[in-house]
Amino acid sequence: MADITLRINGATRTGSPEARKTLADFLRDDLELTGTHVGCEHGVCGACTVIVDGRAVRSCLMLAVQAAGSEVTTIEGLAPDGGLGTLQQAMWDSHSFQCGFCTPGFVMQATAFLGSHPDADEQQIREALSGNICRCTGYQSIVDGVLLAAQRNRQGATVKAERGSDHDSNRG
Amino acid sequence: MTAIAAERYTGASIKRSEDPRILTGAGRYVDDIKLPGMLHAAFVRSPMAHAQVLSVDISAAQALPGVVAVLTGADLEAMTVPGPDALMALMGWAGPTPEFTLLATDKVRLVGDPVAVVIAESRYLAEDGCELVEVEYDDLPAVVSAAFALDPGSPPLFANLGDNIALPCSRHEFGDVAGTLAAADRVIDLHIDVHRHQNVPMEGRGCVASYDAGLGVLTMYAATQSVHVTRIAVAMRLGTEPDKVRVLAGDIGGSFGLKIGASREELAVAASSRHLGRPVKWVEDRGENLTASGQAREESFDIRAAVSNDGDLLGLDVKMVVDTGAYPGMGAMVPAIMEGMLPGPYKLAALGFESTGVITNKATYVAYRGPWASETFVRERVLNLIAKDLGLDPVDIRLRNVAPRTDPPTMMITGRPLAGTTSRESLERVTQLVDFPAFRRRQAEARAQGRYLGIGVATFIEAAPGPRAPEGASGPMGMESMRLRLEEDGIVALFTGQMPHGQSHQTTLAQIAADEFGVPFEQVRVVIGDSDIVPFGLTGGSRSATMTGGVTLHGARQLKAKVLDFAAHLMEASAQDLLITDGNVWVRGDPASAIAVSEVAQRAAAGQFGAGVDAELEVEATFDGGEGGWSGGTHCAIVDVDTETGIVTIERYVAAEDCGKLINPAVVEGQIRGGVAQGIGAVLLERSAYGEDGSFQSATFMDYLMPTACDIPRIEIEHLQTVPLDSDVNFRGVGEGGMIVAPPTIVNAIEDALSPFGVRIYEQHLPPARILELIAEANPGR
Repeated sequence: MADITLRINGATRTGSPEARKTLADFLRDDLELTGTHVGCEHGVCGACTVIVDGRAVRSCLMLAVQAAGSEVTTIEGLAPDGGLGTLQQAMWDSHSFQCGFCTPGFVMQATAFLGSHPDADEQQIREALSGNICRCTGYQSIVDGVLLAAQRNRQGATVKAERGSDHDSNRG
Repeated sequence: MTAIAAERYTGASIKRSEDPRILTGAGRYVDDIKLPGMLHAAFVRSPMAHAQVLSVDISAAQALPGVVAVLTGADLEAMTVPGPDALMALMGWAGPTPEFTLLATDKVRLVGDPVAVVIAESRYLAEDGCELVEVEYDDLPAVVSAAFALDPGSPPLFANLGDNIALPCSRHEFGDVAGTLAAADRVIDLHIDVHRHQNVPMEGRGCVASYDAGLGVLTMYAATQSVHVTRIAVAMRLGTEPDKVRVLAGDIGGSFGLKIGASREELAVAASSRHLGRPVKWVEDRGENLTASGQAREESFDIRAAVSNDGDLLGLDVKMVVDTGAYPGMGAMVPAIMEGMLPGPYKLAALGFESTGVITNKATYVAYRGPWASETFVRERVLNLIAKDLGLDPVDIRLRNVAPRTDPPTMMITGRPLAGTTSRESLERVTQLVDFPAFRRRQAEARAQGRYLGIGVATFIEAAPGPRAPEGASGPMGMESMRLRLEEDGIVALFTGQMPHGQSHQTTLAQIAADEFGVPFEQVRVVIGDSDIVPFGLTGGSRSATMTGGVTLHGARQLKAKVLDFAAHLMEASAQDLLITDGNVWVRGDPASAIAVSEVAQRAAAGQFGAGVDAELEVEATFDGGEGGWSGGTHCAIVDVDTETGIVTIERYVAAEDCGKLINPAVVEGQIRGGVAQGIGAVLLERSAYGEDGSFQSATFMDYLMPTACDIPRIEIEHLQTVPLDSDVNFRGVGEGGMIVAPPTIVNAIEDALSPFGVRIYEQHLPPARILELIAEANPGR
C-alpha cells in the first residue's frame, strides 16, 4: 500500500492503493468513478482511456501509484455541470454509440486528440481512434460525431473570440 | 391501413434517450454494481483441451489471507441440481443431451474449462488464489476436428453419449432432388467452409449474485438478453422456485447472441452466493471471454448444385457439419434454421439438406448475430461460382433466379411464403447506385497497371419476424407482451421484457408510444431489466422491431382507449369526441377544454367515480406479429486487393436494405453498419484459432484481430420502400442482416478482384496470408 495524492477531475483525491493496482481499478473501485470501463486489460481496446497530464492514457496499463501527483481527467469530469460538453453533444447528435461500453474511451481519446488537432480531417480522426475498439457501430457514427465536434469547436472559437469568452468544454 | 395516430416521432432519427447517461459515464453496467460485503470470484481454468482431472488441491489457496472460499466441481455439484441447458429446454431440444457439471469434476473438455472457483475479498486476491490451486491432469487425445469427432473411434467427451455426436445425421428433401440433379444441364460439386469466430462484445459476461437467506431469494444482477431466461436458468440449477430468483439488469455492453440465459460460470457464482450468504461478483476478463465464453460458426458444406446452361439454379443438395464445441447447445439447433432459409429469395425447386453436429474440445458454439448466416454465405457463393462457370454477370444471375412477387406469393421450397420480398428491387437499386459498366472499365484500366479491383454483390432475406406462420405464434420467440400504465405524473410507462444491449429500445419504443398515445416523447418511460416487474421477453433474433414495436403500438392504443373512456366521465363528453395530443385530453373542436393526462390519472387514482367506472389506467397487451414479413436487401462492395501484401481495402460499400417501416432511421443505419463491420471483420481479420492439440491460440486482442476505424469504410445505405403486409405493424427487424450478407459480399468482391489469377474461393476467412496463398495455389509457377 502506498499513500498517493492526485488531482482527478479538478479535485484533490487521496488513496492507498496496492502497488499492483491499476489506475483503472483504482478509479473504479476506490474512487467509485465507474465511468471508466475496462475492456481488455491488455491495452488494446482503449475502453479505459483517461487523460493524464494532458495525454490520453490506457488506465489498465498504468498503475495507480504511477499517477501520483498527476492531473487526471475521466469521462465524469468532462462536463462537471451535469450537462454535455461540445464533443459529447456532437456525439449525441450523431447517434455515435449503441451499447455504450466503449464510449468513455472514445470520448476521452477524441477529447485529447481534438485538443491537439482541432482541424483534423476524417482520415486523421480515424487513425487517432484506431486504437479504440467498438463492436457495435462500424465507427462511422463515432467519426461523424468527432468531425461535428471539431466543426462546432471551430465555429465556437470564432464566436468566442468575438465575445471574449474563455469557455471550452473540450479540455485536455 | 390503420395509421399510427400521429407520426411526429416514428420515422424520425430522434436522439437516443440512452445517450446522456452513456456519454457522461453514468451508465450502469454489471461491473459497476457494488454491494455491501461483496466478494469476488475468479475461476481456475484448464490449460488442457481434453484431460481427466485426477486431483484438485485447494489447501494452499484456502490458506491465502483474503480468500474466503475455494469451491471445486464436486462442491458445486453438491449445491446444485443437474439438468439440461435452460435455453435448450425452453426451445424444446429433444436430441442428445450430454451430462456435465457446472465446474469440471471428472474431466476437462476445452482449454479454459472451469475447474474451481476462488472467492476472495478482491478480484486480485481471487486470482492470487487461483494460482495456488493445484490440479493434476491426465491428458486425453483432443478431439479438435469435425472429421475426428465423426470417427466412432474418437474418445467421447461425454460418457453418457458414447460418441461425439451432438446432432445425429438427418436428411430432409424438398421437391424432387434426385430428379432435378439427374435432369440438369450441369451439376456443380463444391465444398465450402466457414471458420470459427466469435461475438466479442466489448463488455464480457458477468454477474453479481446476492442471496438473502432470510427471504430465501437470490438476486442476480446480470448482463443478459433476457432477465426471465436468466431467472429460469438460475432457478433450474439452484433447484428453487423461479419466484425465489430475481434478475436485474441495467446497461449491457453488447452481446450479439452471447448473453442468453446463464453460463456455467454465472450459475456457479449464484450457487456460491447462496452457499456463502454473501454477494459475489464475477466479471470475466478478455482472456476468459475469448477462450471460454463461446464461439460461433465453424461449419462445412458439401454442395451439389443443379444448374441450367442459362443460369437457373434448379436444385441444391447440401451436406452440412457443424462443430458445436465442447458443451453443445445452440449449435445443434442451427442447422434446422439453415435448412429452412437456404432457398433464400430464389425460385429453387429442390433442396436436399443433410446435417450433423459434432462435439469437439473447443469452446461451445453460441448464437452469434444471424446464427444461421452460413446459408446465405453458401448460396451467394454458389451463385457467383455458377455465374463464373457460365460466364454470366453476378447481378444478372440473381435477377434471373429471384422469385417474382406474386399473389398468392411464391412458396419457398422449404415451406414459407415469399410474401412482400423486395429482393429484385434491392438488386436493381444497387445497380443504380453503383455504376457497374464504369467500374468494369476502371477495373480493366487498373489491372493493366497491376492493381486488382473487384466488385461483389450478395442478397439475403431474413425472417424478422417472417411471414405469419399458419400454426400461429409459439415458443419463447412467439408472442410478445407488454404492460402499459398512465402514471399520475402523466408518464406513460411501458414495461417490456426486451433487454436492450445497444438496440436503443428505450428510444424507439417511446417514439411509437408517444405518437400513438399522444404525449411528448419525453413523457414515455421504457421500463426494463427487472424480472419482478417486466413481462417475459427476450431480445434476439431481430424480433423486437415487429414484435415489441407492434405490442407498443397496440398497447398504447388500448391504453389510450381506456384513458379516454375514463376521461369521458370526467369531462362529461363522449369518448368518441375526445382526443389526446401533446399530453392533453380535449374535446374535439374545443381546445379550451384540454386537461393534462396527469390530471386525468390523478382523478382516476382518487376513485371518485365509484366501482362502475374503470379507473385502472393500465393495460396488458399482447401481439403475435400480425402478418409479419421479411427483411432483406442487397449489398455491394468494391475492394482493392494488394497482390504483393495480400491486404484487402474496401473502397466502397453500398447497402440497399428493406426492413419495412423505419422507426428511427439513425438507429436502423447503426444496426446495419455494425453488422457489416462484424462481417468485414469475420472475412478479413477474425478467427478463433486452435492448434492441432486443442491449444487456444487467439486469447488476446493481439491474436484475435478486431476491425478498427481504419478497417471499416463509410457504408452507404439506401432504404427501400417496403411492401406492407400488416394493417398497421410493418416495422421489421434489422439487427442481423448486415452480419448475414456482408461476408459473401466481401468474398465475392475479392474473388472478382483475383479473377485474373484464376482464384476460386471456397472459404470465408481471407486474411492477407491466405490471399497470397490463394494466388500462389492457383498459379504454381508465379
